[in-house]
Order: sequence, then structure tokens, then C-alpha cells
Amino acid sequence: MGVDAFEITVNVAKLILIFLMMVQAVPILVWLERRGSAFIQNRLGPNRVGPLGLMQLLADAVKFLFKEEFLPKKAVAFLYLAAPVVALIPGALALASLPLGSPIEVAPFAMLGREWGPYIFKVQGYDIGVGIVFVLGVSSLGAYSLLMAGYGSSNKYSMLGALRASAQMISYELALSLSLVGILIVYGTFNFYEIIAEQQGPLEFGMFGREFRFSFLPDWGIFYNPIGALLFGVSAFAESNRLPFDLPEAEGELVAGFHTEYGGFKMLMFYIGEYGHMIVASALLAIFYFGGYGLPIPSWSTEAVNGFFAAKGFGSTSASLMTALVSHVSILVKIGIFLWIFIWVRWTLPRFRYDQLMDLGWKTMLPWALANAVVTAVWIYVINIK
Amino acid sequence: MLALADYMFYFLSLLILVSALGVLTMSNPLYAALSLAMSMLGMALIFATLDAWFLAGVQLIVYAGAVMVLFVMVIMLFNISAEKQAFSRGTVSGFFKLASAGVLLGLIAGSIYMSAETVFTPPPIAASEKLGDATQQLSEALFSRYVFAFEVIGAILLVIAVGAVALSRSVGGSHAND
Amino acid sequence: MPMIEGMLKVSLNHYLLLSAILFSVGILGVLLRKNILVILMSIELMLNAVNLTFVAFSRYSANIDGQVMVFFVMTIAAAEAAVGLALTVTVYKKFREVNIRFFEHLRG
Repeated sequence: MGVDAFEITVNVAKLILIFLMMVQAVPILVWLERRGSAFIQNRLGPNRVGPLGLMQLLADAVKFLFKEEFLPKKAVAFLYLAAPVVALIPGALALASLPLGSPIEVAPFAMLGREWGPYIFKVQGYDIGVGIVFVLGVSSLGAYSLLMAGYGSSNKYSMLGALRASAQMISYELALSLSLVGILIVYGTFNFYEIIAEQQGPLEFGMFGREFRFSFLPDWGIFYNPIGALLFGVSAFAESNRLPFDLPEAEGELVAGFHTEYGGFKMLMFYIGEYGHMIVASALLAIFYFGGYGLPIPSWSTEAVNGFFAAKGFGSTSASLMTALVSHVSILVKIGIFLWIFIWVRWTLPRFRYDQLMDLGWKTMLPWALANAVVTAVWIYVINIK
Repeated sequence: MLALADYMFYFLSLLILVSALGVLTMSNPLYAALSLAMSMLGMALIFATLDAWFLAGVQLIVYAGAVMVLFVMVIMLFNISAEKQAFSRGTVSGFFKLASAGVLLGLIAGSIYMSAETVFTPPPIAASEKLGDATQQLSEALFSRYVFAFEVIGAILLVIAVGAVALSRSVGGSHAND
Repeated sequence: MPMIEGMLKVSLNHYLLLSAILFSVGILGVLLRKNILVILMSIELMLNAVNLTFVAFSRYSANIDGQVMVFFVMTIAAAEAAVGLALTVTVYKKFREVNIRFFEHLRG
């Protein structure tokens, strides 16, 4: 956690802040979802309560908090009550391990009559060296909350929804992990910071002894592995159980799927879990294929931004702090764009049939992801032959 | 003076043992499966305390994320509830079973105790080496010295995938008998 | 109290002992339970105990080979679970029961 009181305090505060960030994103996303659906499907969104319907958020929160808490008569109480809490865990743990800004380097300073040594604070909850393996492992735990909810509710619809959900998650996890293999081969590391550092600067690569350079394009992963990016995006939709893959809660068929028996605050926790999944998927897309917290303009690398603030007369600590802020905003904007795509797709595409879903997962995405990994590996080997 | 890592070990081993005993004693197979998933989680954390970060992640993905979800799914699919006869019958044979497991545990514990002098001391791990490097060493060993075993495992997995599909397939179409 | 503290200080032996206890619990599960699913789970538990031994030895002797072994064991364990579950599903379809005694009919 840290060597002294200051570092420990900052690290604990970071953990709490990142969890709160996930929770606080939910009302905004719900509002965006409603407004977005209103725009896209030409229906009435929230527009009465306050400017742009923003007060609707408050009304929703009050409604969620004050609904009656109830327990279905035949429910298995422990599983029924534990499921919403478990739903929060994967998103929160995964989000806290993602880098959301460039590291802040704090120069030694004096406070309360003593020297506080130089620190490096990373803008993330905790840094685990194997990064992406941890995130995949934690998000694979997401199936448990659905299974517990489905079994605990003692309801046919819930049970069917939970079974669908877990089958879907297991199937698409394969495509999700395999689609990342290509980009991991390109960068040769599991560490998020090294992957993001590789994506700084303009697009340039050597091939067959020649140098290619596109000074107007950033050095992003999507240019190296576009198929992987596409496959990852699609399987992220399936993993977070969103339309067009929302078979687990298909309201036309299963009432509301695994959360048929939930209401009020417990329902809200399922929402937070689902949106947490979406935020993590968007952040992973940004980190692997769109330069992470780097800025989209090639010449504005993290060092360049730091130099800019230093030249403006900031001290080294505050220049680093400003750089972290700029890069944080950069990755937040990228995450926001992907979240909007999630919402956009949800209100545009119809739902798949269950057999179509399984065919797509096993017969289309899995072979493409495998081929992508193999071709990338062979290609990397071939162009590196001297 | 006990360090944080020691308390961590005791907490995790308590978690693992309690949930393992849960697998043994719970008569509802669903609870047993959830209990085992908890024990797998604890095991992943123990791997992390032993600096095997990659294996901890694989433990989460393979065991907690895939194998146990599969178990829970099968249990829910068949709607197997608590059984009337969860344990094998017979007090005498039960006593012998308990005793044999106890003897095995005693033998292992005794051999650990007798080899206490030859205890290994953990090699100091440099901070740079702590996170990424073990993964790199693992992959280097896997794809150089153990590459033949790795390929054989791949072949076995293929055979097993085909076998599992052939076993669970009903005769004449996928839903002929249901 | 130095002796007690010395014993409580976590060393290789603690990991080995934990692994031994887990293995015994797994064996008891296989011997005592009648549900084939729980028996399969107990086998997973035993494999996990062995994995723990490998990782602990690998860490304390600074030798990566133990972790390679764990990697192989995990692969085989996943495959074994898949085949075991497929068998269980087949038997369940025939007898509507997952008790181990119905596996006697596998003799054909």
C-alpha cells in the first residue's frame, strides 16, 4: 500500500474514488440511455423534469431508494440477497486495475515539519503486473451473480435467463480472450503502461527492411490489429449482456430474465454491475486499440504535454499533475465515446435468436479470433526475419 | 514479528479450508459448487502471495470462471436439489474412510515435520523481477524446454473436446430424446 | 514467545501443510459422497492442493519448472471436468439421477 502515512492515505483515497466513479457514472449513463433512445427511436425521453430532463436522475434515485424491499415467498434468501452484491464485484475490481491517466511524479516536499520523499502515484486503484490476465479473470466471475440470482429467485424466467447468461458468457469469453492475443503478440507484454507507452507518437513500423511512417496518424493498436479490435468489441457486447446480445433478460420472452424478481435498490445494484462491465470493456478497447490515456494527436505525447506545462512555469510536481489530468480527460473522452456506441447499438439493432447467438460465437467469432492470432504471430515472425 | 503477508496467509488458508469443508459437508450440490468456487478464489489469492501472478490469473479464468460455472450450470439445468442420501452408508466403512484420510494426512504432516531442518528460505526477489518477469520465465520454459509436452497437451485437449461432444450428443439430432 | 512466533512465521512448511489438509478433504469427499458432481468437485480440490505444492516449491527454490507443471495440471483438470460432466449428463439423461451407484450400469 505504501511506505508512509501520506502514500497510504493517497492510495486508499484512490481506491474509494475509483469505486465512486463507477457508481456515479450510472445515473449519467441511465439518463444518456433514455435521451439517446428518445433521439434514435423518435420517442419521448425525459424532458419534463428540469433542464434537459436532468432532474430525472434525482427522481430515479429517490424511486430506487424508497421502493419497498421484499423477498419472494419461495426464494432462497441467502442467494437472492447476495446476488446483487456479487454483481458489483467484477466491475469494481477490474476497473480499479486499469490505468486512467499518466503516473503523477511528486517531488520531495516539506509538510507538517518533515520531509516527504519523492512518490510516484499511478492513476489507478492498484497496479498488477499481469494486468490484462487479472482483468479477464475477474470479469469471468460475472456469471456467478446471474446464476445466484436465477437460482435464488425460484422463478422459471429467472432460471432460464441465468442459464442463457452463463452459457453466453462462457462462449464469448473464449472469443474475447483470443481476440486480445493478436495485440498482445504485437506488443509482447501484459502490462498496461508498456502497452500504452508503445502507442505514443506517430504511426511508424519497419517491414522487410523498409521504414513506413505516417506522421498524421497516432501509433494506435487498431492499425496493427483491426480484426482483433472488431472481435473484441463484439464479444464485449456479449459479455456485458447488452442488446443485440441481451438474451438473458430478453423482455419479450423472459419478462426480465434473471432480475425478474428484483426491484428497488437491488435492481440498481444489477444496473451498476452491468454498466461497470460496459465501462471496463470501453476502457480496455481504449487501452489496447486507441492509445489508452495518450492524446490522439501524434506529436502531443505524454512527455510533450509535460514539457508544455513545465515551459508554462509550472513546478515539476504540478506539471506532472496537469499532465495526468489531461491524460485522464483523454481516456475519459475515449471511454465516453465507446459507451455512447454501446447505447447507440442497443437502440438500433434487434435482438439475436439464441441459436444465432451461439452460431455467431462458436462458428464465426472463435475461428476468426484464432485465425487472427495465428496470422499475427506468423506475420510478426516473417517481417522480423533479417 | 509477523508481517502483513503472514496474516494474509492465515486469513486465506482459513477461507480455503472452511470452503473446502463446505464442499465436503453441504448436501445441496449447488452450495457445494459455490463453496468450491470460493475456495478456488482463495487459492488464486494464495498463488498471488507466492508471486505466481500469471497462474493466479489463469486460476481465476479457468477454474473460477469456466469450470465452476460449468458445474453450477449443469446443477441448475438438472435442478438437482438437496439429496436424501448425500453420504455413503455404513458406519464401519465410514470409520475406515475417515481413518485412512487421517492416516494419509498424518503421514504427509509427519514427513513435512521431519524435513523441517532442510527448510528452504525464499530467494530474495528484486522489485523489478517481482511482477512481469516470472510470467516471462514461465513462457520461456513453456515454449523451449517443455514445448513437446505443450504440444501433447494441445492434442489431448482436442481429443477431449471431440470426446465430450460425442458423449453428450443425443442420437439422431441434438434434441431427439428430450 | 519467540518460539511460537517462529512457528507462526509463514514458511514453505505452512504451504505444504495447507496443501496436505486440502488433499485429505478432497479424498474424504471422494470416499464419503455419493453425488457424482460432488465427487468431481472433490477431485478438482485435490488437484488444486497439488498445484499449491508445486507453486510453493517453485517459489521457495527459485525454479520456474513448478509453475510450468501447474499450467499443465490446470489444463488437464479442465479437460477432466469437461469429460466428467459430459458423462454425468449422459447418465442423468438415462436414469434421471446423479448418484454414483448408477454408474454401475456403464458395464453394459
